[in-house]
Amino acid sequence: MKTVMSKKSVIALYVLPSLILVLILIYIPIVLSGYYGLTDWNGVGKMKFIGLDNYITLIHDKLFWTSTWHSILLGLFSVLSLIGYLIVSLILASKLRGSNLLRKIYIIPMLLSSVAIAQLWVKIYDPNNGMINSILTSLGVEHTPLWLADPKIALYAIFLPIVWQYAGFYIIILYAALINVPEELIEAARIDGANAFQIAYKIKIPLISGVLKVLVILAVVGSLKYFDLIYVMTGGGPGHASEVMASYMYKEAFGKFNFGYGSAIGFGLLVISMAATWLIQKFLKTKSDD
Amino acid sequence: MNQMETAKVDMPSTPVLPAPKRIKSTALKKAGMGLLYIVLIAIAILQIYPLIWLFELSLKTNQEVFGMSPFALPKHPQWSNYVDAWTSGNIKSYFFNSVWYTIVAVVLTLILASFVTFALTRMQWKLKGFILALFMAAYMIPLHSTLIPLFNIFNHAHLINNPLSIIISYVTFNLPITVMILLGFYKSLPREIEEAAIMDGCSVHRLFFRITLPMTAPVLSTAAIINMIYNWNEFVFVNTFINSEKWKTLTVGVNNFVGQYLTDWGAIGATLVISILPILIAYIFLSDRIIEGLAAGSVKG
Amino acid sequence: MIKRKALTALTLICLLIGIVLTGCSSEGSSGDGSASGGKIHLKFMHDWPKGSSPAYFNLVNEIIKDFEDKHKNVKIDVEVLNPDQYRDKIKVLGASNELPDVGLTWSNGFAKPFATGGQFTPLNDIIDKDFKDQFVPGTVESYTFDGKSYALPMEMNITYIFYNKEIFKKYHIDVPKTFDELKQAGEVLKKNGVIPATVGSKDGWPASMWFMYLADRIGGPTILTDVINGKVKMTDPAIVKAAQEVQNLVDDGFFVKGNTALSNDEAKGYFLNEKAAMFLTATWELPNFTTSPDTSKAFKEKVGYFKFPLYEGGKGTDINSYVGGPGLGVFVAENSKHKDVAKDFATYLVKEWGKRSVEKAGILPATKVNTDGLKNVHPMYLDVLKDINEASNVTTWFDTQASPNVSELHHDMMTALFGKQVTPEEFAQKQADALAKEAKK
Repeated sequence: MKTVMSKKSVIALYVLPSLILVLILIYIPIVLSGYYGLTDWNGVGKMKFIGLDNYITLIHDKLFWTSTWHSILLGLFSVLSLIGYLIVSLILASKLRGSNLLRKIYIIPMLLSSVAIAQLWVKIYDPNNGMINSILTSLGVEHTPLWLADPKIALYAIFLPIVWQYAGFYIIILYAALINVPEELIEAARIDGANAFQIAYKIKIPLISGVLKVLVILAVVGSLKYFDLIYVMTGGGPGHASEVMASYMYKEAFGKFNFGYGSAIGFGLLVISMAATWLIQKFLKTKSDD
Repeated sequence: MNQMETAKVDMPSTPVLPAPKRIKSTALKKAGMGLLYIVLIAIAILQIYPLIWLFELSLKTNQEVFGMSPFALPKHPQWSNYVDAWTSGNIKSYFFNSVWYTIVAVVLTLILASFVTFALTRMQWKLKGFILALFMAAYMIPLHSTLIPLFNIFNHAHLINNPLSIIISYVTFNLPITVMILLGFYKSLPREIEEAAIMDGCSVHRLFFRITLPMTAPVLSTAAIINMIYNWNEFVFVNTFINSEKWKTLTVGVNNFVGQYLTDWGAIGATLVISILPILIAYIFLSDRIIEGLAAGSVKG
Repeated sequence: MIKRKALTALTLICLLIGIVLTGCSSEGSSGDGSASGGKIHLKFMHDWPKGSSPAYFNLVNEIIKDFEDKHKNVKIDVEVLNPDQYRDKIKVLGASNELPDVGLTWSNGFAKPFATGGQFTPLNDIIDKDFKDQFVPGTVESYTFDGKSYALPMEMNITYIFYNKEIFKKYHIDVPKTFDELKQAGEVLKKNGVIPATVGSKDGWPASMWFMYLADRIGGPTILTDVINGKVKMTDPAIVKAAQEVQNLVDDGFFVKGNTALSNDEAKGYFLNEKAAMFLTATWELPNFTTSPDTSKAFKEKVGYFKFPLYEGGKGTDINSYVGGPGLGVFVAENSKHKDVAKDFATYLVKEWGKRSVEKAGILPATKVNTDGLKNVHPMYLDVLKDINEASNVTTWFDTQASPNVSELHHDMMTALFGKQVTPEEFAQKQADALAKEAKK
């Protein structure tokens, strides 16, 4: 068996096409953007090599660390939200009547493009005639919050639609993982007198731990490089209160023509993402990993 | 079996609840189920509302969109928004392009990602860990860091204004996340069947196509849905690498209505409604495959 | 069973790859801006999509068609993107030295890297020969670097306070001539539950219009340009005072609540729906207030405008001094393979644009307009054109004049000023620092 499963030609055939694509289209840009980070370049004119200056500036750039902190917070919220999605998926995957329809409905927001989601939530948060403040006013609240306009609230207000936008993504994966759990194991546990909670906790969750671990990594890395809704809804404001790494990078490179510094931020983002992934893997290390 | 053991190590042990008494439990159970359904339906309403809102938006004038309560119904439904959406660009060719770029990219991504995941989880070779790390790190680069280098690469390859640049980009940029999703499943799939097949002298290719792929049908459907949605809504690559109208996609139809001093939100709503219908139908269709795929897989298993 | 499935899957993949490959091979003709079939292909990019800017879009197409009719050997390949994507794409194209033969550029800070980086070709020959004395003074200068001009300006806008005449009449408010009167008008409106003014300060630039006018009125018409040129410091007392007055207005509840989260479009909605009485904006909005089918007739009749009031004791004593500037101009790429044809097209485009844009699209061109020849034009246009002719000064928007770096900072600072995240002193100091840092380079 070992010999069949370690045939070099087969491995090459299976891995090389993808590897070549990724190396050319992702790794060349990564290397190049690391290089641009070593230059003073406005994107259009001449490139001036300045060594590590951009990276040194980056380390001392308060705004970069603020935006990094915001991105990390978003990562934490996303991971926490996974618990909610896990519960919903567990319910949907248990033989509940109507769960098939419910599952389809739950994933609908994911189909919408960010343009639509941003518009919807801007309207929900509108301080004057938005949904939330209309309700608060009718309840007699006098000083209604300004939501996205309030630098103290904006960051958290914007987390909500982001986390909500990805609900479908996580539910659909968790669901597929859960229905893959062999029926015999659940049946056996039930015969032994385990209740639904115990079955979920002791059998289902451990069996999908591989998927869960991947989802944690996806949630964290996805959050660290998150861009769309933040850029459309607040533009990182007010006053950088909702700035994240990717929006900061975009503003520097495409807004201010600082492609050199923007690339350095992008490279910093990459390094932080790798560190985060490494930490998660260390933290979630299980014996099943080979 | 491995996972069961680790679970016992990792998870803090919970106190086993005393078995509840029979008679009480049925009444409680019913109340509990009722409550559960109320919560589930409330969530469902929250999740479906955006679609309804979008439909309302598509029938409003700009004057109604801004300044008025966003939840008021349109006073005079502007069906003309749909006419605008349909006629303001080559929506038919956009549509056709969106469909075939998406299908081709999804199929290629799934097959390539399955190959890679199979090799990573089932086969024995030295560089496994390194290659996996390469794929994972590829997921971490922010999109806008890649645009200028990518444009240069495609430009040198004479692939600018060529649909191939879009499809290749979709496949490549979705490969890492697809591999990672598949990875979790491959690891939890029982290996006994595959091992038995090898013992019987089955070749690797036959094993992959005949046994592994069918067994992973539920996750493939899942990954297909995710890939499909990503590709369908993508516009940065299309706008950067494509110049001529004839190769652009539906997302361009939306952007058509964004202007410097005026953005026609009603028409954007209409375009979004038009563009969401095909993906909604495809989604419902694929979504059922998750379960059917499972049934097929487990029977064979 | 499984075998069949695998086979179908494989066939499907082969088929799809086949489609892709044939898809590519059929491509290639419209790629380069080169001659094919004896015709010269010129690439032209603009940012007026049919959906959002139909009047611009149609007018450009009309002019292109006329040009092609006159030059049978030329074919213009047009690419249209919305402004956001246009900005991004033109930068990516610039970075790869692949600009279209002819395209549009914003003035000053946006154009400078392309011009000084050798990507735009100087157009002084055309401007001297074909456009002598035809551009509104001050417009070409916005595209001029080191003595060379790199674009033909297409738009000229000035800024007014647009107001709802009916609301003003209802509460017996006269058009304010001084800043104090403006504040008093605000008080009256507020008392009656009307939002005095709407502003989309999330975007920064609409908020900046308030600041720029106050700086002009308090510190005199040249102060902002002097700041850019390093003659006056951003921390000048007049500037700080202008910022202070902006914040006083915010404190007085003069602006719509939560404006730091409103984009310009969203803020405009309050004016269009008659919830806010005033809206400080530029003349590009004129179609919305006069001819656009999207706004109701009843509303259009209520819209009026007035010039930004004078500040008592300020140095800017002329109400005919405006804040404004050119928007887009036409550039020709330095490495265009058909530079002469491209220049011809750019010239034709801007000339015809000047002749037709007011009547056909309600746009004020950067070329001088002969008002006598205008028929079927809304009276507001005639008033505005008259104002432009009588203008004593048009200060180009501060954020347009500034480098992209300072401009972005200025926008951030404007939002922060409106959101009370900075004091007027900090507002001035931070920008002064950035300007000083830039001057050192």
